Amino acid sequence: MKALVAGVALLCGTAALVLLSFVWLPYDPAVMDIPQRLAPPSWAHVFGTDIYGRDVFSNVVRAGRPSFEVAFFSLAIGAGAGIPMGLLAATARGWPDEILSRFNDVVFAFPALLIAVLVASVYGPGVIDAVAAIGIFNIPVFARTTRAAAIGLWQRDYVLASIAAGKGPTRIVLDHILPNLAPALIVQAAIQGSLAILAEAGLSYVGLGSQPPEPSWGRMLAGAQTLIESAPWLAVFPGLAILSTTLALSLLADGLRDALDPRRIGGR
Amino acid sequence: MAKLFAAALRCAVVGCVLLLTAANVARAAPADAGSALAVGLQLEPPVLDPTVNASAAIGAVVFPTIFEGLVRIGPGWRIEPALAKAWTVSADGRSYVFHLRPQVRFGDGTPLDAAAVRFSFRRAVAAGSLNPQRALLAAIDGVTALDSLTVGVHLRRPDFTLLQALGLSAAVIVSPRSAATNAVRPVGTGPFRFVEWRRGEAIVLARNSAYWGLQPAVARVTFKVIADPNAAIDAVITGDVDVYPAFPAPEAVARFERDPRFAVETVLSEAKTIVAINNRRAPFNDLRVRRALSYAIDRRAIVDAAMFGFGAPIGSHYTRSDPGYVDLTGEYPYDPARARALLAQAGYPRGFSTTLAVPPLSYAERTAEVVAAELAQAGVRVKLVAVDWVPWLTQVFGAHDFDLTIVAHAEPLDYDIYGRDDYYFGYSNPHYKALLARLELTADPRARRALLGAVQRTIAADAVNLFLFQYPDITIANANVHGIHSASPLSDIDLATASVSGDGAAPGSRADLPAGAATAFAALLCIALVWLALRAGWSYVAQRALSLALTLALASLAIFAVMQAVPGDPARAVLGIHADPAAIAALRRQMGLDGPFLDRYLAWIGGLLHGEFGTSWTYHESVARLIRERFALSFPLTLYALTLSTAVALSLGIGAVRWRSSPLGAALAAFSHVGLAIPSFWLGLLLVIPFGIGLHWFSAGGFPGWSAGWLAVLRSLTLPAIALALPQAAVFARVLQHELLELRDADFLRTARAKGLSETAILLRHALPNALIPMLTILALQFSFVLAGGILIENVFFLPGLGRLAFQAITNRDATVVQSVAIVLVAEVVAVSLLADLLAAAIDPRRRTASAP
Repeated sequence: MKALVAGVALLCGTAALVLLSFVWLPYDPAVMDIPQRLAPPSWAHVFGTDIYGRDVFSNVVRAGRPSFEVAFFSLAIGAGAGIPMGLLAATARGWPDEILSRFNDVVFAFPALLIAVLVASVYGPGVIDAVAAIGIFNIPVFARTTRAAAIGLWQRDYVLASIAAGKGPTRIVLDHILPNLAPALIVQAAIQGSLAILAEAGLSYVGLGSQPPEPSWGRMLAGAQTLIESAPWLAVFPGLAILSTTLALSLLADGLRDALDPRRIGGR
Repeated sequence: MAKLFAAALRCAVVGCVLLLTAANVARAAPADAGSALAVGLQLEPPVLDPTVNASAAIGAVVFPTIFEGLVRIGPGWRIEPALAKAWTVSADGRSYVFHLRPQVRFGDGTPLDAAAVRFSFRRAVAAGSLNPQRALLAAIDGVTALDSLTVGVHLRRPDFTLLQALGLSAAVIVSPRSAATNAVRPVGTGPFRFVEWRRGEAIVLARNSAYWGLQPAVARVTFKVIADPNAAIDAVITGDVDVYPAFPAPEAVARFERDPRFAVETVLSEAKTIVAINNRRAPFNDLRVRRALSYAIDRRAIVDAAMFGFGAPIGSHYTRSDPGYVDLTGEYPYDPARARALLAQAGYPRGFSTTLAVPPLSYAERTAEVVAAELAQAGVRVKLVAVDWVPWLTQVFGAHDFDLTIVAHAEPLDYDIYGRDDYYFGYSNPHYKALLARLELTADPRARRALLGAVQRTIAADAVNLFLFQYPDITIANANVHGIHSASPLSDIDLATASVSGDGAAPGSRADLPAGAATAFAALLCIALVWLALRAGWSYVAQRALSLALTLALASLAIFAVMQAVPGDPARAVLGIHADPAAIAALRRQMGLDGPFLDRYLAWIGGLLHGEFGTSWTYHESVARLIRERFALSFPLTLYALTLSTAVALSLGIGAVRWRSSPLGAALAAFSHVGLAIPSFWLGLLLVIPFGIGLHWFSAGGFPGWSAGWLAVLRSLTLPAIALALPQAAVFARVLQHELLELRDADFLRTARAKGLSETAILLRHALPNALIPMLTILALQFSFVLAGGILIENVFFLPGLGRLAFQAITNRDATVVQSVAIVLVAEVVAVSLLADLLAAAIDPRRRTASAP
């Protein structure tokens, strides 16, 4: 329960800040103030300024947008393609199951970053690249979870009863399987969300994610490397942002898993 | 039977360890008579012949180390003798006679004589010659050999600037015998001779013992290509390079100045950093627009922000050290309001959008950001487009397909480019051409200065380009390097007079795994496989192996299909922008780029199975060799990280469960929760500060090569491995904790407790082995994550691994390399999956009859 509360609180806080950035930010993240460059944290600039004098705090908050975007869309791709695939495999068994299995194996054989590398070499780096890579990697994850859970659900008494009563497979899936899958899938989504944040940060660190002028946490860290001695705050704050967002989603996943797992209800 | 096998296994392991130690000890230290110097290089030259390519990086390596000209440019642009010991000029300026130095030979044995000089000049001015200074030498009408050591040069018109032109790198004298191969194997008369060129890595020169002049003090010079500013800082600190001229990280200068181990020298170079404007294209063909852009930029701010205050603003295409310099920075003072007004006048009251092509150099990237922000103030919305050098040369320089671009023109006194209509920025002004023509005819220094002033003013008045600043030449050298200061305005450092005091042996940078270790590892692997197969059952092994082989095949098909979609023509990239279509078509057929998809795919697979990975079209060398070198770093790093991660995870997980009711346990559990949220590359960054830079326990970056010994390798791989291992360990630890807690109430554990075993013993001897089985299942997936993480970590610590190879290949659009690296990585993951499955089956009998999970 504690994890859930902490996770939700942290996530809401971060999300609120990012949403606020659409309306107001202490400074325009793109405006350069060269005389003020490389200033350490102060009341005027809470997180200090970078080599062009841009406010780090505004940039860190603004950079939350591509991270959340990438996480959201890659989750959408993963769930949107993975869940139906998993359901099909669990329902039909036989060769759709084999194909899914094989597909999962192939995708899992690629280190996630490699998929991004391949996409980037074709389309060039960019947010699309990051979303595609992480999304593709999410598909077998969701498919696998859906399939495993769905197979179990197909054995349940009430489902067997529905089959006996003459319900078609589609109706059964919609009425019984999907709703009961929801807890496992929500937890999986939270986990994949946290991984997506990390992955997006990694991709933009090496230049494969969102491109300038859109700020991104990973790229801010990359730029901070040469200045790590003279301006260490530049490396600290974007990293903390990545850490807290990932942590928030991870805590959320833990909390949801505990809250939604029927076995746990009744205390532990 | 099992006992025998266990004993055999133990012997095998001991044997391997002994083999490894022996291999390490047996390796002799590289014998290097005389001192060696390692020089940092930001840009790798595309070829090594300065007479066929305009890149300034060529001269940095081969001029005047390997190649020399008839004359040499000394301090203050004084003309000094080099290969010509004396010369005379006729009164009408149309006839020069050069007396060559006797008994000088090229590296290939050919003597330096009038025939060689005639050959070199004819080659330079011939129609179709790619000589970058062809225009300057264009006045040459004929070259005659008056006798074997006397050359007469006749000009079709008077040219008093010829001697200056002859001192430049494009006018060096080459041997007729070896000229054709100078691009890859330069042969000259200079104090050094060429040894080898390891693409993407290093260029090695050695002392020329037959040199006609003073013998250089250093026996061996290695130019190391280190473009990344971070890597450059690192290389200097760790002593990987002894001197780095044209240092790419001005932000680090202060730190080096404070450190007595290093000497810093900053001068203003001849390079003019400009934002080149495509004068042919609207709206830039309108003078008002170009002037508006000139008013919009604040040069001082650019120098401060992008160059950390190093560099000096310029107002035209001319530098302070050139004769007759006029300060035109006041022509267009910083005035965004005036810029906007001019734009409105020109018909752009709301500004316009445009693109800026940015080459991959740190000064260019930073300058581009500031320029874009400043132009935005004037209403011009600039989109920054990163363009690598090969595409830049093709698109921007060759095809003139750009709006704006940032570049530094390093050639001194190259104002003649503004007289060429076909030059990339497309400026055409008859008045300017007339000025140039008059300059060639003028010998009187005062008159020349006046004309040169007019040249500068015309360029500035027409705002042909945005003139930003004179690029600073920052040279950082180890305090024990002496005599590198160059008096010539053409060179950053003088290697002929350089010397190193103390131990100047350069560490080897070959990353190849010692053969002994590789064999030992392979042997260990085979033994392990056989043992696992025996335990798990051959049918299971066959099943899994077949299944994974199918996976690998499908993955390879996917990789191949994706790479077919990569834009760009590799054959064109190899042959260059001037190649004719027939040659390109022939090369395409040769490279196997034509033909149906299936044929090409099968050809590729067939090649792979033979170890034929193809040839990289950027490095022009075997991809297999590139991969083998990089693999020798990536694979051990991954293993190291996994080992550390498992060790930490076991401690964390067991500790968290064992002491779960105490604060220590809570802390350990908390760490496993937070740990997995830490980005590994951030951790790496943070670890470098105290351990790499502060305490110097571990290397702050770079890889010394396996030839440097195990301790050096460990020093450089430990921080990266820790950064990789900790987040993974957190994941492992959580799974372990979960499993251990699940087992808490198991019957067999209750029995153990009843028997009186301690909690620790129960945990370690009974619970743990059962908990390990699910861990093995995720081992393969974790290996894949560590492999991916390794790619990021390689960037933090500048390790020349597979990941960096893949990134470099992407920027160069080198599909052969990308698809080869991809298949190698995928094969690694599949192999580890097989191992993990076999291990799980060997330990847990329930798995042996199960079909694919």
